[in-house]
Amino acid sequence: MSNNKKYWKGVEELNDTPDFQLKKNNEFNEYLPAEDFLGDEGLLSNSNTSRRDFLKYLGFGVTAASLAACETPVNKVIPYVVKTDKTNPGVANYFATHYYDGFDYCDIVVKTREGRPIKIEGNKKSPYTQGAINARVNSSVLSLYDEKRFKAPQIDGEEVSWSKFNGELKGKLTEAITNGGKVRFLTNSITSPSTLRMVADLVAAHPEADIKHVNYDAVSFSSILEANESSFGKRAIPSFQMHKAKVIVGIGADFLNNYPSSLELTKQYALGRNPENKWMSKHYQVESSLSLTGSNADSRIPVKPSEQSKVVLALYNNVASMTGGETLSKVSTPFDERVKKIAADLVKNAGESLVLSGSTDVNTQILINAINNQLGNYGKTLDINVTDNTKKAVDSEVISLIKEMKTGSVDFLVISDVNPSYSLPSELSFDEALAKVKTAVVFASRPNATTASTKYIAAAPHYLESWNDANPKTGHYSIMQPTITPLFDTMQFQDCILNWMGSDLSYYKYIKQTWEKTAFGMQTKSSMFEDFWNNCLHEGYFRPSISNESVVTTFNGDLNAAASAAAKTNSGEWELEFYTKVGIGDGSQSHNPWLQELPDPISKMTWDNYVAMNPSDAREQGFATEYGEQKNADTINITINGVEYKEVPVIAQPGQAKGALSVALGYGQTIGKQNEIIGFNFYSAMNGMNASTSSVSFEATGNDYQVATTQTHQTVMGRDSVVRESDWNTFKNGSKDDFNPAHMLATHEGPMNVNDVDLWASHPVAAAGHHWGMSIDLNSCIGCGSCVTSCNSENNVPVVGKDEVRRSREMHWIRIDRYFSSAEEKLDESDRSYGAMELPEDNPMVVHQPMMCQHCNHAPCETVCPVAATTHSNEGLNQMTYNRCIGTRYCANNCPYKVRRFNWFSYQNYDKFADLNPAQDDLGRMVLNPDVTVRARGVMEKCSMCVQRIQTGKLDAKKEGRSVIDGEIETACSSACPTNAITFGDLNDKSSKVLERSKNDRAYRVIEEVGTQANVYYQIKVRNTENNLA
Amino acid sequence: MNLISLRTPAKTLFTILAVVVFSIVSSFDLQAQEDGEKLFKSYCASCHSAGNNALVGPGLAGVYDKYEREWLYSWIKNSQALIASGDEQAVAVYEQYNKVLMPNQPVNNEQIDAILTYIKEYNEAAPAAEVASTDAAEVVEEGEAETSPYFIAAIVIALLMVVVILRKVQHLMKVVEARIKEEDIPEELTLGQAIGRTIQSNKTIFALMGIVVLCLFAKSGWDAAFGIGVYEGYEPEQPIKFSHELHAGTNGIDCNYCHNSASYSKSAGIPSANLCMNCHTYIQEGPQYGKEEISKIYAALDFDPVTKTYGPNQKPIKWVKVHNLPDHAYFNHSQHVTVGKIACQTCHGPVETYTVGKQYAPLTMGWCINCHRETKVQMDGNGYYDEIHERLPESLKKQYLEDGTITVSELGGIECAKCHY
Repeated sequence: MSNNKKYWKGVEELNDTPDFQLKKNNEFNEYLPAEDFLGDEGLLSNSNTSRRDFLKYLGFGVTAASLAACETPVNKVIPYVVKTDKTNPGVANYFATHYYDGFDYCDIVVKTREGRPIKIEGNKKSPYTQGAINARVNSSVLSLYDEKRFKAPQIDGEEVSWSKFNGELKGKLTEAITNGGKVRFLTNSITSPSTLRMVADLVAAHPEADIKHVNYDAVSFSSILEANESSFGKRAIPSFQMHKAKVIVGIGADFLNNYPSSLELTKQYALGRNPENKWMSKHYQVESSLSLTGSNADSRIPVKPSEQSKVVLALYNNVASMTGGETLSKVSTPFDERVKKIAADLVKNAGESLVLSGSTDVNTQILINAINNQLGNYGKTLDINVTDNTKKAVDSEVISLIKEMKTGSVDFLVISDVNPSYSLPSELSFDEALAKVKTAVVFASRPNATTASTKYIAAAPHYLESWNDANPKTGHYSIMQPTITPLFDTMQFQDCILNWMGSDLSYYKYIKQTWEKTAFGMQTKSSMFEDFWNNCLHEGYFRPSISNESVVTTFNGDLNAAASAAAKTNSGEWELEFYTKVGIGDGSQSHNPWLQELPDPISKMTWDNYVAMNPSDAREQGFATEYGEQKNADTINITINGVEYKEVPVIAQPGQAKGALSVALGYGQTIGKQNEIIGFNFYSAMNGMNASTSSVSFEATGNDYQVATTQTHQTVMGRDSVVRESDWNTFKNGSKDDFNPAHMLATHEGPMNVNDVDLWASHPVAAAGHHWGMSIDLNSCIGCGSCVTSCNSENNVPVVGKDEVRRSREMHWIRIDRYFSSAEEKLDESDRSYGAMELPEDNPMVVHQPMMCQHCNHAPCETVCPVAATTHSNEGLNQMTYNRCIGTRYCANNCPYKVRRFNWFSYQNYDKFADLNPAQDDLGRMVLNPDVTVRARGVMEKCSMCVQRIQTGKLDAKKEGRSVIDGEIETACSSACPTNAITFGDLNDKSSKVLERSKNDRAYRVIEEVGTQANVYYQIKVRNTENNLA
Repeated sequence: MNLISLRTPAKTLFTILAVVVFSIVSSFDLQAQEDGEKLFKSYCASCHSAGNNALVGPGLAGVYDKYEREWLYSWIKNSQALIASGDEQAVAVYEQYNKVLMPNQPVNNEQIDAILTYIKEYNEAAPAAEVASTDAAEVVEEGEAETSPYFIAAIVIALLMVVVILRKVQHLMKVVEARIKEEDIPEELTLGQAIGRTIQSNKTIFALMGIVVLCLFAKSGWDAAFGIGVYEGYEPEQPIKFSHELHAGTNGIDCNYCHNSASYSKSAGIPSANLCMNCHTYIQEGPQYGKEEISKIYAALDFDPVTKTYGPNQKPIKWVKVHNLPDHAYFNHSQHVTVGKIACQTCHGPVETYTVGKQYAPLTMGWCINCHRETKVQMDGNGYYDEIHERLPESLKKQYLEDGTITVSELGGIECAKCHY
């Protein structure tokens, strides 16, 4: 079945352009100016370096080097003066805490070495996020060691002491309160019970004053909150049980990346998509730009943004008519037939389905509520009584605060954890309003647009240095605890407020007080508060054993009004959608180089945002559709809602709806020591904070722009045994030969299974000791990139910057290959009229495939190394010894998987990378994993299967005198995978999960036919479609 | 049996009775000794040894005979009161041991009895061993005197002089001979000419010698190259003249007491200053350098030895690192100490005799690998190895167990990624 599909990574590969053909045969396709240089006679003869000089320098260099080598290095070893009990050099400690920045919430475990946090992993014990983690959260450890952070509070740009700072502001606050003035707090959605209590305390203590707290989320879900208020009388976001849904419909909802409790949804989504279960959920996605969620859908309809609400209305009408509900005003879309099919599927699985929308339009969300209500999904796949509390911001409240500020009546404004000057639309002119506030204080950890124009800047600590608590979901409480002493002279928002309120409590004591008063009484296990507190601190979370009675709510929305509003959505020739990228999210961590260098899961772009456009649209407009080192993107001047952006690159994105453009938020901020600005800030153009607009126009500038895409880097030379997939019917009803046939080799004895034919003697790993192996389930992998950043953090993978990525020199040990697939029969390329809808690049299927060193037992790289720098261990690992490597790169050339990386530069001390590479300054170096060598220039490196973790795991077992427990040793990627797609273990352990999965019917090995005997297994992807081509 | 049978039945009965009574008594004694040991370790051992050597306070051997029991009771419970009361014996002891006060111990008379019994048993059991160990320490003091380079130079000069004199003598002899035979007096050859002639007449031998000399030069150059970066015997001066000989040797403090993380961590750890204070709160003066060196610990901790209080100005002690393993080599102490049960001395040498810390082993990769090739894995009673052993198929068992031992290298201990990652 899989043979009649064509897989391609980029438009250039699809069309097999001559340039691509040239490039795919050359792994190191760097441009070397040697001929320009050597061919220039004039330059050579004018050069003032003679042969004699060269020999002199050579001689001097050799002598100097050998003399330098003879000197005894004098190193100091500095022990603790007073060592704390559990801090032991060389031993890692783990602390449970949580991450919350208003965009992501995650229960995490922080690994510290010698008292400094070096790695973030999901808290696998947490019943809420269940160990799931994403790239933004596991990269956040790097933001702690940011040289640009505020090191002390500032007044008028001068660093002052906290006593002065707090003294002055306490006076101002008291003055504002006694005068009965307006005191306002503008923060991200606060889920912390203690902070909420603190604000309530302040309000209660001063009834004479006008004190108000306003939640503000840069990427808000205000529409869902308001829709639920209208439908159920409850301003809340429901919680989901997606693993119980047999049919999932996402309409503009990127629920695997940007949605309330998206990590929980990711876990649930993966659970429901396991083809080994009795049923597998069917996922329909209707969206404008190809999102991470859409790339995983079984069936996807690209629509323009204005058509989304119409599809929702049509879907409602279809569902209502099939279930006997009241139908609303009719609307027609070009997708009526497909919508009808979706509706039928939904009705068939009523009560076991889920419809989600990411629309910022309240009426659309009311219709979504109505659909779920009509299907009887409430209480089954989603629950309005158990709410998600991480998104509380209602846009209208923020807008009215700004209006209030503009009148000059706000006396005291505290801004914390948000950057409104940057992330509010320019039409709201926040800066102008801010200037009219009498006293404004901004809590921020590094300079941003809002701190640029404020008098009082409070240096806020990083979350790994802070105390806090959270209630992200009804019935789930967690504590944030510091994992390091604050690096700088910083103070938390809450500590300051307590100080200003005249309280002598620290926020830590205040949290304990809150917990003693509330949470302690909600359980019966511990009778002593300290026991209870320490236990919660250790586990990182608390679930009350005494729960509140659930309130049953009934649906009561005004559907007709909603329907007529939804039908009236403005459309245009071009429509634009704002979205958030997997790496950068809402932009609060856009200064993090790990995230900037993480390739976008869909476009594979790094270090930029851009305007995404359908490839045929781009071709019509005369824009370039292929990008590479020598191929730049064209730029446009684009006006969105009256805001003009100049020289924005245009990228042709397969899967993008025709006529729809999309731009990523979160860019346009500074990074690095030079304060370089990356990309464009499209928040400014979000009129009314709506996620889409039809007020857009653009013109080509005729200029081009260098983009860094990893799209067709490390290509697999056209071998088609890389990705395997099947459909649900074939998988359920067929045999292994139907969906995952073995590779047969023609021999003189007839066809033989490739695994039975071997040129070499078998490697003795199969029986003795350990045999480490990995299994990757392509069905579970959603392509989120969490493994990539986790690997960066674990293995000290250097950041190389945009220019080097452009030259295919990214250093990531694990990459996620994103393959588009389409039917082999392409339409005639000249025919782009109405048949163009069927062009493969308009709506391709997507497969995400994590690819790293396959640790072949018969490794092609090992046989070609002239210095035996890469060898095989008796535990099945392909070992790379950096100090032996002389950099011939033969191994990389001979690797069929293209997973070896060459250190072209000394990234940790070469000037070119000083701006970006965290390992270049003393502060940034603290993030390095001390157990992993920092590689030098001129050596090869690649995935080691986290050998340092294997060794630690084995040693722990030996010290305790027991065998290694399956699952105890995890690689950085397997541990970070939110869908458990990656399993690591010992293939010699008869009871191991990895052995079971490697023997599964879906298991195969990539490029197995060349006989590499890889130790990494993959499981074929199964799509829930009638046939593989749908 | 023979002995008993020879005696009268009455005597035999008596003997049996005596044996029974004695064994009962001694078993009580044994009980007391065990308790005493525990008590001694928790109350006394931080300042006193049970033998003769002095730590903070004197060694306690013989203390049970030297003093009255009652006096000991009151001294141990409250020595300061005893001194204040003007008790002669108490004041004398106080004066003798540098006026270091012994803190009051929360023990009762029975416990003191138990401690004293333990000390008594300890000294009766171990005097021989103690003597042996002191002997050993003394023996090491002697060493072979190295040949002085001046001596060699003097010999060379003397030999050259002999050669010159002999040549003169030979020449004179020839002159005399010529005079006698009335021949022409031969010209005296210069040294260079003489050598040239000798070489010309013995070409083969000199060519061979030349080759040998060249080879020797090459060999020494090659060896020297191997020595680059090898700091065997590196013995830098430290900020505090800490002597392992005194602590680990004379006082017999276990290596793991200070370097305790060697048993569970990658690094053996340099003890933090607060660990030193476990003893040096009381031991304020050392036998070699008096108060000078110990006061450096106090300075690091901002500790006032008189009031015994800590100040806020603490600053770490910056030791000079002796063992510099390159960053690309991973070494884990606990693997070797806890799992491999290797004695510290195997790699660090007789540390208990070092007055200044030094690098004993070359710490080269060849040295590591050699040990991994030769060392037998400590598999007994370790469940990890039992499991690994069980997995081994019969065919391989034969291969690996041919010589009856499993070495580290047979388990993959010389593979690259065991130490380099």
